[in-house]
Amino acid sequence: MRRLLLLCAGAVLLAGASAGQELRVPPSVSAGEDATISTAGSGQATFYVVGPGVASKSSVNLGEEIQLHGQDLRNAGHYMAIVCSSTCQSASFYVIAAKPTNLSFLVHPSRVPVGQENAVSGVALPFDTFHNLVLSPAEVNFTMNAANAALFSRSVHMQQGIGWFRTSSGKTAGTVRVVASVADLSARRAVQQVASDPCNLRMQGQRTAKGITVQTEPVRDCSGNPVSDGTIVSFGAVTANGRSTVDAPIKHGVARAQIEGSGAAVVSVASGVVIGNELHIGAQQ
Amino acid sequence: MIRETGKASRLRGLMRGAAVLALALAGSLCSRAADAPQIQKDQVQLDVSKAGPRAVESLTQHGILRDYGSAWTSLAHALEFNTLDPLDGPFVGTAKKWLTERVLGQQRSGLRSRYQDQSHKLQAIFYAPEGDVIELHDTAEYRLQVLDGAKAVHDERVVVHYVVLMTPGADRWVIRQLQAVSQF
Repeated sequence: MRRLLLLCAGAVLLAGASAGQELRVPPSVSAGEDATISTAGSGQATFYVVGPGVASKSSVNLGEEIQLHGQDLRNAGHYMAIVCSSTCQSASFYVIAAKPTNLSFLVHPSRVPVGQENAVSGVALPFDTFHNLVLSPAEVNFTMNAANAALFSRSVHMQQGIGWFRTSSGKTAGTVRVVASVADLSARRAVQQVASDPCNLRMQGQRTAKGITVQTEPVRDCSGNPVSDGTIVSFGAVTANGRSTVDAPIKHGVARAQIEGSGAAVVSVASGVVIGNELHIGAQQ
Repeated sequence: MIRETGKASRLRGLMRGAAVLALALAGSLCSRAADAPQIQKDQVQLDVSKAGPRAVESLTQHGILRDYGSAWTSLAHALEFNTLDPLDGPFVGTAKKWLTERVLGQQRSGLRSRYQDQSHKLQAIFYAPEGDVIELHDTAEYRLQVLDGAKAVHDERVVVHYVVLMTPGADRWVIRQLQAVSQF
């Protein structure tokens, strides 16, 4: 009885082994490279490959090697190789990404006020020539440079195909170049640093025949950068008749407005959340 | 008593035929939709505890769960019925290109693939500071059948690990990259 059991077990093992040898696939293949699948047995069979971007069917001779061309193995992922004669055998293998040839680099924002904490961030993702995400660990260097000054530099260990940084904006308005580089690959983006909120907003005013003319001093942020033309400055006037407001855009660094009325007025100036000085202007004589 | 002319009778017959045909077509489409493998809500789980640097808000988490599950339903439908329509919307970029090529390849070779009894255990491993990309690891388990015509040439329950990149679209999260790996 024991001998019979051993014989049966041996037969099962042998059958399993021979079935396993029907189809031998490489454990993994680099994207775009040729691969060979070996088959056992003899006679005609149908061979199928199913994977990302691929589904094909062809006739093969069992016992011969099957050549898979690199162009059919461009996409990284899970592939099934199936060979069918009287029965079907299958095996799976993985195609992994090739060397990175392209760096996808997302940088935010494209326009940022100066002196903002953690306001600039970037994410880098390496892709190979077939648009596969490269998942092997790598070092990515992030740098941020103004016209003639290095603002930021950091080396980050890229894991699972992603490296990122976050940093504060610089002190000077102007274009900043942000670069991500992995080995000999690099990607560049530009961030426009603009003046922050106005600082020490001051105006002067005088009565004219038509009312009151007010004009700011050159409007700058706290780092001394001229606030962008087009930024709105609001002039408010409180008179015996009530309150009136005039909005004026900054033009060539200053904002001007004409406030109508002949009575005494208290004029104030503001831009965004910043409030400037007040002027007390007497009534028209 | 009104007598039909021969022409009117033929026209009525044609219209009746067209109505029967339309009903049959609608029935066929409905039965196809019913056959389409749906993923149960509880079969897609998302763990956001390791996501960073940006925290995944609860609404975002629900949106990703809903859209990822829905995308896999569409994928299964596209690959079972060899149709490209379900891929419009849930997939963009490389993911859409690969799935489109797969469907076209299946059409050419007379193959179909069935993804049944799916379950997806998702882990968010990176959520960009500005929320414009999220990387997920999906341990997907499903029964994969490959059919040549009506004959199943492969039938196996598999566990596949996917690295997924999703980005927010106009009205949903879309899959940009769906790349299987041997292990995370």
